[in-house]
Amino acid sequence: MVIYLKAGGELRTKLKPDVDDYTRRVETEAGKALKDILTGIGINPAFVAFAFKDGQMKRLDYVPLDGDVITLQPPVSGG
Amino acid sequence: MANGLAGKTMRINLSTGAIRSFPTDEELYRRWHGGRGITAKILYDEVPRDAAPLGPKNIFIINSGIMSGCFIPAGSKVEFGSVSPLTNGPGDSNMGGHLGPTLKFAGYDMIIFEDVSPKPVYLFIDNETVELRDASGYWGLKSLDCEKKLKEDLGEDFEIATIGPAGENGVLFSCITHDFGRQAGRTGQGAVMGSKKLKAIAVRGNKSIHVNDLAALRKQVTEIMLRTQKHPNMIPWQKYGTAFFIQWSNANACIPAYNFQTTYYEDIDKIDGDQLVEKCLISHKACFGCWMNCGKYTKAVIPGKPEVHLEGPEYETGSLCGSNLGMKDINHVAYINWLLDNLGMDSMSGGGVIAFAMECFQRGLITEADLEGQTLKWGSVDDVEHFLDMVAHRRGIGDWFAGGTKRAAAKIGRGSEKFAMQVKGQEFSGYDGRWAPGMLLSYMTADIGAHHNRSWTITVDMAEGRERVEGRAKIVVYLQHIRPLFDTWCICRLFWGELDITPEEIVESLNHITGWGVSVQEVLRTSEMIWNLNRCHYIERNRNIGRTFDYPPARSWEDKIPSGPGQGKGLSLAQIDQMLDEYYAARGWDTSGNPTRALLEDLGLGYAADRLEKSGFLGKPIPGGIPPVRGEKYKPKAF
Repeated sequence: MVIYLKAGGELRTKLKPDVDDYTRRVETEAGKALKDILTGIGINPAFVAFAFKDGQMKRLDYVPLDGDVITLQPPVSGG
Repeated sequence: MANGLAGKTMRINLSTGAIRSFPTDEELYRRWHGGRGITAKILYDEVPRDAAPLGPKNIFIINSGIMSGCFIPAGSKVEFGSVSPLTNGPGDSNMGGHLGPTLKFAGYDMIIFEDVSPKPVYLFIDNETVELRDASGYWGLKSLDCEKKLKEDLGEDFEIATIGPAGENGVLFSCITHDFGRQAGRTGQGAVMGSKKLKAIAVRGNKSIHVNDLAALRKQVTEIMLRTQKHPNMIPWQKYGTAFFIQWSNANACIPAYNFQTTYYEDIDKIDGDQLVEKCLISHKACFGCWMNCGKYTKAVIPGKPEVHLEGPEYETGSLCGSNLGMKDINHVAYINWLLDNLGMDSMSGGGVIAFAMECFQRGLITEADLEGQTLKWGSVDDVEHFLDMVAHRRGIGDWFAGGTKRAAAKIGRGSEKFAMQVKGQEFSGYDGRWAPGMLLSYMTADIGAHHNRSWTITVDMAEGRERVEGRAKIVVYLQHIRPLFDTWCICRLFWGELDITPEEIVESLNHITGWGVSVQEVLRTSEMIWNLNRCHYIERNRNIGRTFDYPPARSWEDKIPSGPGQGKGLSLAQIDQMLDEYYAARGWDTSGNPTRALLEDLGLGYAADRLEKSGFLGKPIPGGIPPVRGEKYKPKAF
């Protein structure tokens, strides 16, 4: 299945967008947790504060569905 | 009138009531950039080293920086400064909202208050009309109540800053409140206002600010606006503000829990960003010129208590008044946030002081007999409410805690100094540094005590290896130069840190506004100059070598983290000393942490070297000379 990950900042550098400035198309197997997908594409999940999908916060153990568009939110650099 | 400036500065003698207005010193702004910079310079030049922070010889400065109120992202800040009663050093604190821009729209860049008023007053500014007005009818009101009353009396279009009972009573971590939830919280600026019998400031203005190249500024900022609106992280920011960070901080073993006894909180799901949005959020709120809306206007609903409305809690308050106090309901965290706001106390130091008192109670160092028959247990919002009332009114041992954790520990003794979580008298921000050495070094060396906004390194620590201390110093120095620039220009930092606006773009905006034609390297050098002037000032006032003041409390090296993902992690005193040694070397200071003449002269601060030498604390020359570049730009590598 295919999901789309979005990120800004240093996460964007690591994400290597290929759809637009912020978005990468990722092919992955169904049933895999987001944190494992991130690890698989070289992003340490510890540097993602949470995922954001359809206006809702998702934990990194969220299992994406085909076609999901997910924003990766980095930790705020000091609250 | 210079570009970016409103044109006038005011000096107000509160003792005589004399108000003097004169053209703003453009050269002073060019050299110190306003905000935190010009505040540092004026405090250094004008406050006698033996002046008591809450006495008549201290001055109190309100300053809108060169970029505040201009057509740029979040040019909303205003800076307050005085010698801090909490740290006994040069202190500054800023807040967003609308006060800073409005002060410039009324025609004023800076106001300097001298001496003490014989009776409570507030400053009224309506463009050219400037008056010190009797505040007897407002004295005693809580901060938010006073703001509401002044708006009712003067008009909704006045921007108001107030202090609460804590500031009136000289609680050393008192804040200044504005816009029903924006605070200049750190360094006790509210206590200085209170000591001067200055209850509030009310400003209305409708002038404009001239900029050097409006067409270029408009073109640049429009591009930034369009770009950031499409930024994928913008909507999550708008929805959660900084409160989303609570969960991450807990998962990564840096959140404070139970007065920094541990870095893992088992009830985090009850106080996190999701809970805030679900249970408390009323609406999103933005400061002047901002489309990020990170402010959260909220309510706290607790059976048996009145429903209260507030702004927050954001991350710092959420952690320091949440997990750090063992709270198990987001409504309780929000309610404590409101109590602190309305009493007029910094919710960061306030959270630290409550937590310290709770640990003292846990260990039997204070008892119900000391607390007017009340307990002070982890997680009890009723206990906190009673305790804060004692502190705000300096009742009983509330008087000890009104001085912050350092002074309270000195009164309580019996080993409590070890867990008074402060540096230089100011309480820690909402991050534990035992498994984040760069963060601990940031607290240790910040010019205003343990504050995260001078340098924040948690992700650097993670990327570089959380047990490693080597190499942190240069990164901390770099961050201590770049982050405070935002407080110098009086603009919000979040567009830089979170939405990919580069330092080069911000300096380009600065040049469009001012016509100065400066580079990023030049402004970093200005920031380094400000940092060193404050260091000299601090050493002169406190009359000891710099290293004396830079140690964290002993918990930082004596206690390993006892639970959670950081279990067993911690630093040794030798590692802390190693970081300090590297830090002083990276700054061009001697091994005692004192600036050297070579460095100060390199920064154009020869006069500060002369004064430091006269006081006997000038740094000894460094073999091999000062480093040509102080601080190292950090390029994240591990993630």
